[in-house]
Amino acid sequence: MFKSDCEGFHRRNFLQVGSAGLLGLTLPDLLRSEARAATKDKKVEAKAKGVILVWLAGGPATIDMWDNKPEAPEGIRGEFKSIDTSAKGVQYSECLPKMAQIADKVTTVRSLAHTIPSHGPATVFMTTGNKPTAAIQYPSYGSLCAKLLSVPKGIPPYVSFADLRSGAAGGAGYLGTAYNPFGVEGSGGGGGEKGGATMRVRGISLPQGFSLEDLEKRDKLLNAFDQGFRDLDKNGDLVEGLDAFHQQAIDILRSDKTKVAFDLSKEKDSLREAYGKNPFGQSALAARRLIEAGVRFVTISTGGWDTHSNNFTALKTRLLPNLDQTLSTLIKDLDDRGLLENHIVMCAGEFGRTPKINKNAGRDHWARSMACVIAGGGFKRGYGHGTTDASGMAPATDAVTPDDLGITIFKQLGIEPNTEINTPTGRPMLLFREGKVVDKMIA
Amino acid sequence: MRYFFPLLIAVGFSPVVSRADVQLPSGEKLKEVDFERHIMGLLSKSGCNNGSCHGSFQGKNGFRLSLFGLEPEKDHKALTREQLGRRINISDPDSSLLLQKAAGLTSHDGGARFSKDSWQYNVFREWIRTGGYWKKGSGEVKSIELHPKEYILIAAGESTRIKVTATYSDDSKEDITPFAEYRIQDDAVAQIDLAGKLTAKKPGDSGFVVLYRGQVASARILVPTPTEKNFVYPKIEQVNPIDKEVQDKLRMLNVIPSDKVGDAEFLRRVTIDTTGNLPTPDEVRKFLADPSPNKRERKIDELLKHPLHAAVWATKFSDITGNNTTALEQPAEWQTRKSQMWHEWLRKRFYENMPYDQIVKGILTATSREGLTPEAYIESVRKIDEAAAKNDYSEYAKRETLDLFWRRQQQVPSNEWGEKVAAAFLGVRLECAQCHKHPTDRWTQADYRSFANIFSAVTSTGFSNPEIQKLVNAENTARREKAMAANAKVNNNQINLVREMYLTPRVPPKNLFGHPETGVTLPLKALGGPELKGNDPREELFKWMVSPENPFFARSFVNRVWAHYFGVGLVDPVDDFSLANPPVNSRLLDLLAKEFIESRFDIRKLERQILMSRTYQTSYLPNETNRFDKNNFAKSYVRPMMAEFVVDVLNGATGSTQNFGKEIPEGARMVEVGASRIQDANLAFILRVFGRPPRTTACDCERASEPALPQTLFRMTDQSVLRRLTDPNGRLMKLLKEKKDDNEVFEELVLATLSRFPTEAEKENFKKHRAEAKDRTSAFVDTLWALINTREFILQH
Repeated sequence: MFKSDCEGFHRRNFLQVGSAGLLGLTLPDLLRSEARAATKDKKVEAKAKGVILVWLAGGPATIDMWDNKPEAPEGIRGEFKSIDTSAKGVQYSECLPKMAQIADKVTTVRSLAHTIPSHGPATVFMTTGNKPTAAIQYPSYGSLCAKLLSVPKGIPPYVSFADLRSGAAGGAGYLGTAYNPFGVEGSGGGGGEKGGATMRVRGISLPQGFSLEDLEKRDKLLNAFDQGFRDLDKNGDLVEGLDAFHQQAIDILRSDKTKVAFDLSKEKDSLREAYGKNPFGQSALAARRLIEAGVRFVTISTGGWDTHSNNFTALKTRLLPNLDQTLSTLIKDLDDRGLLENHIVMCAGEFGRTPKINKNAGRDHWARSMACVIAGGGFKRGYGHGTTDASGMAPATDAVTPDDLGITIFKQLGIEPNTEINTPTGRPMLLFREGKVVDKMIA
Repeated sequence: MRYFFPLLIAVGFSPVVSRADVQLPSGEKLKEVDFERHIMGLLSKSGCNNGSCHGSFQGKNGFRLSLFGLEPEKDHKALTREQLGRRINISDPDSSLLLQKAAGLTSHDGGARFSKDSWQYNVFREWIRTGGYWKKGSGEVKSIELHPKEYILIAAGESTRIKVTATYSDDSKEDITPFAEYRIQDDAVAQIDLAGKLTAKKPGDSGFVVLYRGQVASARILVPTPTEKNFVYPKIEQVNPIDKEVQDKLRMLNVIPSDKVGDAEFLRRVTIDTTGNLPTPDEVRKFLADPSPNKRERKIDELLKHPLHAAVWATKFSDITGNNTTALEQPAEWQTRKSQMWHEWLRKRFYENMPYDQIVKGILTATSREGLTPEAYIESVRKIDEAAAKNDYSEYAKRETLDLFWRRQQQVPSNEWGEKVAAAFLGVRLECAQCHKHPTDRWTQADYRSFANIFSAVTSTGFSNPEIQKLVNAENTARREKAMAANAKVNNNQINLVREMYLTPRVPPKNLFGHPETGVTLPLKALGGPELKGNDPREELFKWMVSPENPFFARSFVNRVWAHYFGVGLVDPVDDFSLANPPVNSRLLDLLAKEFIESRFDIRKLERQILMSRTYQTSYLPNETNRFDKNNFAKSYVRPMMAEFVVDVLNGATGSTQNFGKEIPEGARMVEVGASRIQDANLAFILRVFGRPPRTTACDCERASEPALPQTLFRMTDQSVLRRLTDPNGRLMKLLKEKKDDNEVFEELVLATLSRFPTEAEKENFKKHRAEAKDRTSAFVDTLWALINTREFILQH
């Protein structure tokens, strides 16, 4: 009767979807493959396949970086001179000489602004493209990529080297736990020869001392113990779904494609050196390798940007030299390999810092003007977008908001900005509540 | 002048245009097309005025309709006046942009909504041809009525026609079946065509909702399981009225409940449900060996009084009331401590079985001072803080009210309080109505704002009077000095300062919400209830909530309790009581609510009745008739556990203990932890993988209950799990040191993980594995790994 066709239906369905890669799927996704098909016709032509987000946690003083103001009055202008870059009309602070050399590859956004000068919610805004509200938790860009873009089997769609705001940002929000980032554990191995060897994506690789052989043996035993529930397979979505997950898990652990990505010893030592033999530099290199393996969104992060005091010393001696080296190498490396054409690098923090310098030679939180750089994936090369007023307090021309950036990035990824996703409670949500595509940034 | 051109034609020619009937799919003929009744209905039904289409506040490609079609005047204007009047063309209806676009004859981002030869096309065409008129108020709906009512009983494979009748403000009635929208909650059960022909696909039970011009009607579609000729519904044990209501409904569906659950299965299920933890091997042995007929009853009573049971509800209510550590007052360490105070305050009440209304009263009408003199208040805070600094949170729990609910680092706008209170204590979601009338419920923007105004006086900025301010300043200066003595560079955010949550005596009108259109300040008003006055309008709100006539208060709580024990609510999701989400068994919900009110909100009595019922004590193994049952409780639903339970259950199985942070009393279990922010990275990771919510949003809908692949991978590969297997102080390593043979150790592991004795087949398989393994230890590590990776272990069943 009715039940015979239903039994066969589920099993077949799992296997089909399974071959498309399953790391970012929940059970309902599995069961609603037609829903996935429906999102397809929402797609516009994709110019970019993936994104590397270089996150500057704490809120960088972009007024001393990408939008330096040496002409501003004392008490605002800061200690750094500006230097010309390889992009016409774009100047950076003197502490970013390597970025200045490759500015002809990036879009420098000087007129970014929002209104939340508080770390948590500002991080959420910048990494989701939606102003945080109490009513709903928006998914991060990476989680949206996990939901909307497909990945090869065994490849995690969204990998993060850092928990943003201890996990309060960068997560899946209303999409549910399946779309959270896969975290990286182990170290990038600063100077050591075997650096990178201990890095792995938590939860999709076998840890050291647990061989594939061990796994096969244990799995045989597990199958024997799981007999009791095997009889339920044909009845419940949940029980059968977990079985499908189990099969997938075994496949993933067998193949372990990300393991290769983390084998940084495959890279020339000179390149590893160029990225910077520190955890941040090596994570950038690993990010590139992950993107090459098919990961859609990688977040790497470096902290210490919350410079309420001694802003200039911290920037000059520590923060900017590191960023300059790693970010310029990442962009150049991607370009050399032809990957920059279809991959986006975005470097930003949650907000900028006050143009006015405080009594501790620091700058405080300032969201009303900030700058960031975006490269690749169809964003213009050598372009400076917008300006701020003379003292850097607010955008003067071509102001953009975090949602504008998000919507533009997603358009480049081939996602129609008006795509709707249902929350677990069935409420249809637009990917971006506000914001519009910034055509001027697109080549 | 072209602007008015079509309109002039309309005025000039319309009287001589002869009407033509439009054939409707229902077989009837529509004599006169009315803008409000028919065109507005079709605009909604065809999806034109959705939020993602022309109903968007920005419109779409220059054409904007009112969201969900609630404003006919604007929509008529948009259709007839804008775009130089090209949207409708009365002299040549077929060339109207409206029809060209909607039928996909010219490029339309929304695609073809209906075809050129469809009846919808003809309705629109006829309306245009006869002048494109709008008769103001002609379609103002008073109510809609769905026929059949309550239940639509239909056999699989068969079809029936439903009928929707609208009553308009002039008391005229019309069959508007083709013009209403339909939603079937579970579309695997049945489908419906545009004309209202309902076809049953598969046995089951689905909510069915009709929407027409802002009105909502609902019923349930019941598709019974086919039966043999001589089928007689068997007599099933009924322990209490719950069983009667559940079985009455099942009988309509020809669905027979599964067998009564066995003792081992029952013990595991009820222990996890009530305490979030597994029974120990000894508890399992003892319970199975106990021959007394009322052992289940005794076990239930014992568990309901267990301290961990109160912790489970404190954890659930921490979700429901938004115990979000990161949002509490800094410093960080004290945010964690405050979360723990919050949890402890709740836990004490659940432990003492305080009536539910009294618990809510303590939350809803909280103030910091609770009428204490300033001196006494500061003294009480001192006492609370001193104890809390030593991880003793009982002092805070002694307070009458939970002022922490209203105290956050950043001032919360009154409308967010409204959303939180509605979701937590009424099970109603209001957030849609912030920007527009709720599409499938009764709430308007004015309702939303009037409700928000109740909370406009809540503040924790400053102090309620100068005297207390003076005293608090002195206390805070002392605290600051003490902190600075330890660390000269300390700032205010790093010191636990005394604060006060109170009500501003006079709220300036500018802080009150006005009517969305007129701007006139709105009165304070309960949802669908009376206007509220008084010094603390929250007290009146509370009185309104707990009155026996309140449709939400008791029902929302009994539904939450039900959902906790069955994995799915009678209204599901639990915080979505709305017209468009009819309860799966409204008689049962009514019964539970009525008894709950009559018992004066006795939580334990309610839980006891549920746990004692034959319905709760039903096996998870299906029979031929209930294989597809998802919402009528014919079998126990296999379901994932809450993230906190997963942590405790894993620790329990492997015999590991865990430190939950320096602010948490030693020896605590995960369900006893109040904080939503967890410092320990490994613990934070597992909680996130298993979907513990950050408690940032107004509803408890953010707890992800769907399993995902990373959870499977976590149990298989994560170091933090693998380490537990070989933990020198853990269960396995201890067992191996004892004088036990292999069979005894194996039995103990199965009892510790699956809460039952091993089967003969399992013993055989273990023996085989043991023989092949390289040594005894590794054989048992493999075995424990395999056991915790079974579905039987990780699922509640």
